[in-house]
Amino acid sequence: MAYTPQFYPGSTSVGINRRKHMSGKLDKLRDIPEADVVAIMGHRAAGADYSSTHPPLKEMGEPDCPIRQIVEPTAGAAAGDRVRYSQWTDSMYFAPSIPYWRSYWGAINCKGCDPGTLSGRQIIEARERDIEAYTKAQYDSEMTDVALCSMRGCTVHGHSLRLEENGMQFDMLARTEMGADGNVYGVKDQVGIPLDRKVNLGKPMSEAEAKKRTTIFRFDGIPMCGKVGARKYDEAVEALHHMWELRSKWGFRPE
Amino acid sequence: MVTPSDTESIQVEIIPQRYLMPATTQKLLNAIYENGGLIRIMIHGPNLPRSVPYGPGRGSPIEENRDLLIDVGGQAFELSVKVGRIRLELESEKYFDGLKAACERTLPFSVQLKKGKFFHTRQTLTDYAKFGEVEDKRILGLIDPRAKKERLAILSEEKVTIEDEER
Repeated sequence: MAYTPQFYPGSTSVGINRRKHMSGKLDKLRDIPEADVVAIMGHRAAGADYSSTHPPLKEMGEPDCPIRQIVEPTAGAAAGDRVRYSQWTDSMYFAPSIPYWRSYWGAINCKGCDPGTLSGRQIIEARERDIEAYTKAQYDSEMTDVALCSMRGCTVHGHSLRLEENGMQFDMLARTEMGADGNVYGVKDQVGIPLDRKVNLGKPMSEAEAKKRTTIFRFDGIPMCGKVGARKYDEAVEALHHMWELRSKWGFRPE
Repeated sequence: MVTPSDTESIQVEIIPQRYLMPATTQKLLNAIYENGGLIRIMIHGPNLPRSVPYGPGRGSPIEENRDLLIDVGGQAFELSVKVGRIRLELESEKYFDGLKAACERTLPFSVQLKKGKFFHTRQTLTDYAKFGEVEDKRILGLIDPRAKKERLAILSEEKVTIEDEER
């Protein structure tokens, strides 16, 4: 029987969503053109050449190494691209993804990337053409709600603040705005430099939809213990206790 | 000049469920102003810089945060924060119900009102460093210790004594 990896315990909707994020089997909600994603990332102009740190691997003549023969390089590594980043901030108010789950998603599903997890933001670094593909995947999938999540290379402030009146996550640099037509528009790149055109990111999720797709346990949403008043806690808590116990003991054997 | 009051003043903190847009802020502040009984009021929230403060885009203008002019009680002033919290002092308890009604009338979402003590009464070292001896004690607690003088946002029915700065 083929092995199917198991990702996260629990039968709550949050547990199920967390499994979905980690497995990479995500619903595609929108299709933002690649040129727009590149513009928001702000590392290069759409259509421009990729800057490189070394010649393509084929021209370099690699040493004879069994690992290099087994592992196929990513497109970016093969071409010798520079390492670039994309950084996300997800609101605590039921954003579909959270830093840890973006990192799990990256570490499990994206080849040759380096995810970094912080309390309010999450950064992924990879070769430029790889990170562009990974960022587009994040933008297009249910990991992102355009109102509650945004790409913020700096001044990431906002994830733990109340939402704005129109339901957008607060952004000091006003990188995204709610249009009169109900669509969210990206008006600046991830570090706050104005774009030469507005990028239509589509409509945000409704509050109910965001709560359905969220990976955040919250007392006013889905609590981690599962159904309130149930005889047994959700498996997620049991697994957490189990891990906590093993981690605390960490091989301690009082013999 | 502070007029001594014969009734006990109360301090109130208003916390809306969401950050207010300038138009809503103006509506709310005007409703609070019309309710009367205001001794002092402070608006508080995250800073809205006029240009990108750091990072590769440092210095790029943020047009969205400029000219956020609002008109309160016939006086125009510029907002430099995203309003998320309002602290105020009322002359007496009798104005509280009107204040509550004003908040509920003007805000399209829920709001939390807390009574308590929100302004400090003794001068701190920061107050002294910024203003020297403060004569009008109403200014205490209105100052963000980290802010520069020009970033103060002070509203009052009467003019405050310090530099007569009404913003």
